[in-house]
Amino acid sequence: MSTDDLETDLTRKTENSPRELLTRSFFFLCAALSVVTTVSIVALLVTEAAKFFSITAPLMGVTGETASLVDFLTGTTWQIHNQEFGVLALVSATLMITIGSAIIALPLGVATAIYLSEYASKQARSVLKPALEILAGVPTVVYGFFALIYITPALGVVLPGIGTFNILSASIVVGIMIIPMVASISEDAMSAVPDDLRQAGYGMGATKFDVSTGIVVPAALSGIFSSFILALSRAIGETMAVTVAAGAQAKFLNPLDPTSYLEGALPMTAAMVQLLTGDITGGGLAYRSLFAIGLVLFVITLIMNIISDYVAQKYREAY
Amino acid sequence: MATQSDTIEGFGQVSRRAGIIFRYLLMGATMFGIVTLAILLVYVANDALQPLTADPGWYLVFFATLVAPATLVGAYLARTNLDALKLGALVVGTLAVTLMFSGGAAILFVDIVPPLVSLSYAVGLVVPFAAVVLMTKYEDQIPFTVRVAATGAIFFLSLFGIPGYYHSIPEMVQKIPVVPTEWVIVTFLLGGGVSVVVGLYFARLRENTRAGVVAGVAALAATGLFAVSGLFTGVNPTALAVVTAGAFVPTAAYAGGAALTREHERVGLLFAAVVIFGALVGAVAVDVLGFAGPQSWVDWQFLTSSHSGTAENAGLYPAIGGSILLMITVAALSFPLGVGAAVYLEEYAPDNVFTRFIDVNISNLAGVPSVVYGLLGLGVFVTYLGQATGTVLIGGATLALLILPIVIISSREAIRSVPSDMRQASYGMGATRWQTVKNVVLPEAFPGILTGTILALGRAIGETAPLIMIGAPNVLFSLPTELSSKVSAMPLQVYAWSSLFASEDFYTKAVPAGVVVLLAVLLAMNSVAIVLRNKFESES
Repeated sequence: MSTDDLETDLTRKTENSPRELLTRSFFFLCAALSVVTTVSIVALLVTEAAKFFSITAPLMGVTGETASLVDFLTGTTWQIHNQEFGVLALVSATLMITIGSAIIALPLGVATAIYLSEYASKQARSVLKPALEILAGVPTVVYGFFALIYITPALGVVLPGIGTFNILSASIVVGIMIIPMVASISEDAMSAVPDDLRQAGYGMGATKFDVSTGIVVPAALSGIFSSFILALSRAIGETMAVTVAAGAQAKFLNPLDPTSYLEGALPMTAAMVQLLTGDITGGGLAYRSLFAIGLVLFVITLIMNIISDYVAQKYREAY
Repeated sequence: MATQSDTIEGFGQVSRRAGIIFRYLLMGATMFGIVTLAILLVYVANDALQPLTADPGWYLVFFATLVAPATLVGAYLARTNLDALKLGALVVGTLAVTLMFSGGAAILFVDIVPPLVSLSYAVGLVVPFAAVVLMTKYEDQIPFTVRVAATGAIFFLSLFGIPGYYHSIPEMVQKIPVVPTEWVIVTFLLGGGVSVVVGLYFARLRENTRAGVVAGVAALAATGLFAVSGLFTGVNPTALAVVTAGAFVPTAAYAGGAALTREHERVGLLFAAVVIFGALVGAVAVDVLGFAGPQSWVDWQFLTSSHSGTAENAGLYPAIGGSILLMITVAALSFPLGVGAAVYLEEYAPDNVFTRFIDVNISNLAGVPSVVYGLLGLGVFVTYLGQATGTVLIGGATLALLILPIVIISSREAIRSVPSDMRQASYGMGATRWQTVKNVVLPEAFPGILTGTILALGRAIGETAPLIMIGAPNVLFSLPTELSSKVSAMPLQVYAWSSLFASEDFYTKAVPAGVVVLLAVLLAMNSVAIVLRNKFESES
C-alpha cells in the first residue's frame, strides 16, 4: 500500500461516511417513531372527537347527527340508543374504581415499600420482589374473571346486597394490580435516601420505627407521591378487569356513598369496549363517541403523568 | 413531678412494642397482595385441573415413582451440593419450557405455514445471504453505497422476483415437481438447523471438530428417529420432529454440555434424570394399572379444538395459534424499532430540546392506557389506511406500538449499563460510532435487551383491550394462516367466554382452563427472562 493510500485511510472523515449516515438515520427514525405515535394519537382523538360535537362538527365538514359538548360534559345519563351521551355517568364509575383501588393500593404499596427498603433481609427481598412483579404481570382479563367468579361471591357472604357486577370487587382487583407500581417507585425513592440521614437518626437514639416513619418516609415523600399519581392513572386506564367485573349498565352513582360501591356501573374504558362489542356502524355517532371518551381518558391520564413527573422533579430532595 | 426520678432510673428502656407491631404490619401488607393472588390461583387451578377427581391409586403411583425419589435425591443434593441441585432443576425446567414452546412451533408448522413454504422461504433467504457474505469478502473493492444497494436488490429479487418476468426463489422451490413429505422437510430444515448449532456448541466446548460433527449428526439422527417413530405410533411425525428438534435435543445438549464441563455440579443431572424417568414410568404404570387421572378441563381436546357452544367441547386452538402469530409479529416489529430508538437515545442523541422531548414523550407513552392504543389502531390502520378489521398484521402492529416504550426503556437501561471504558477503548482503536455500537455496545447489552423484550412480550400476550378495539372476532373457528387473516388470542377468548357466553358451565370449565393455559405460557416466558437476567447479572 502506498503512503498516499495510507494517508487517505487515516484522515478520511468516517463520521460522515455513507455507512455512518445510514445507520444514524435508521436509529433516529426509530426514536422519532415514538413522537409520530404521540402525534397520531393526539391528532386522531382530536379530529374524531371534533366530529362528534355539534359545536366543532361544521369545522370538520361533518353533517348529520352530532352531540352537544355541554350535554356531554355535564350530562349524567349515558344511553346510546336514546342519543344521550352524558360522560359524567362513566366518569363517576371510573372515579369510584380509582378511589376504591387507591384505598387498597396506596397504604399497602407504601407499607410494602417501607418493608422492602428498611426491614427486609437481602434474601427476603430477592423472593418478594419477583413475587410482587407477578401481581403486575397477570393479564387484566384474568383479574376481571377472578373478581367476578371468586371475589364477588366471597363478598356476598359479608355484604348480602351486593350485585353480580359491582364496583367493589373490581376496585379490589385493580388495587391488587397496582400495588407493585406504588411499591417499586416508592421503594426506589426510599432507597435513594442517603444512609447518613438514617445513621444520624440512630445516633439521636431513635428506634427503627422512628427512623422509618420520621426520616425515610418524609425524605422520600416526593417519590411516594409521584408513585401514587402514576398508579392511579394506571387504575383509570385499566380496561379488562373493570369490563368483566364492574358491569355493563351506565349509571350515575355518588362516589362518596359507600353503598353505591355494591352496585354495578360502567367505567369509561368499559364503555369503550362495550361500544365496540355492540353493533355500532363505522362512522356513526356512537363510533365517534368512542373517540370522545378516548380523548377524555387520554387527557386525564396525560395530565396525571405530567403532574407525577413534575412532583418527582420539583420536590425531590437533592442530597 | 413524682415520676421524674423513675424516668431517669429507666433511661435505657424504650418500648419495643410499637416497633414490633409496625414491623409485622408492614410484613402483612407486603404479603397481602401475594397471598390473595395465590389463593385465587389455587381456586382457578382447582376448577381447571380438578385434581380431586383422580383415583387415589393414581396419586400413589406417581408418589412412588416421581415424588418420593425426587424428594430423596433433591434433599440429599440440597444438603451436599446446592449448585448441583440448581443445575438439575434447570435441566427439568428447560425441558418443560422448551416442550411448551416447541408445541407452539409444531402448531405453526403443522397447521399455519406448510413446511414446503417454510423450506422455500428458507432457501430464498439463504441464497441471497450467501451472496452478501461473499460480497463482504471483497468489501474493500466495492463502495459501501453500491454494496447496500446490491444487498437490497438481491434480497428483493430472490424473495419477490419480478412479477411476470422472473420467479422469486420461494415460487421456484414451491414448483419443484418432486416434493419430499412434510416431516422429511421439517426434519432437515429444523433438525438440520438445530444440529448445526449443537455441533458448533460441542466443537467449541471440546475444542475438537470431530466431537462437534458427532454431536451434530447425533442430534439430526435423533430428530429423524423420533419423526419416523411417529409413522408407526400414529402421532403426527411433523409435530414429533419439531418437538424433538425444539425441546429434546436442546435439553440433552445442555445437560451433555454441563456433564462435560461442570465436574463439580454434574451430579445434579441425577435429579433431572430421576424426575424425567419418574414421570415417564409413572405415566406408563397408571396406564397399565388402569388408574384414572384427574378429569382436568385442560386436556388434549381443549388444546386442539376450537370454540363450541358447550363448555365441555370448547377449545382454545385458534386462540393459541393466533397468540403465536401475534407474538411473532410483535417481536419482529418492536424489537428492531425499540432497540434502534434506545441506541439512538443512548449513543447518538445530542443533548438538545428535541432529545429531551423524545425522552419525556416515551415515558408518557408508557403511561397511555392500552385501550387508547386500541383506538389508535382502529383509527389509523382501519379507518385511515383502510385495512380490514381484526387481522394479524394490525393486531400485531397495535400491540407492538403498545410495548414499544417498555422495550425502549429497558433496552436503554441495558445499554447504559455497558461500561463506558469499553466504548472508549473501541474509539481509541479508531472504530467509528457504528462499529462501536455493533461490536461493543450491542453484544454487551444483548442479554439485558433480550430480558426486557421477553418481559414486554409477556405484557403483549396478556393484552385484550387493543385487540377488541381493532375488531378482532370474539369467536374464530379456524387458525389464522397469514398476516391478513382474522386473529383471535388467548386472553380475547377468555374474555369472550366470560362475558358473551356467560353461564355457570363456562365459568367453571372453559374459562378456568383458558386462564390456566394463559398463565402457564406467561410463567414460562417470565421464567426464561428471569433465568437470563440472573445468568447475566452473575456474569457481570
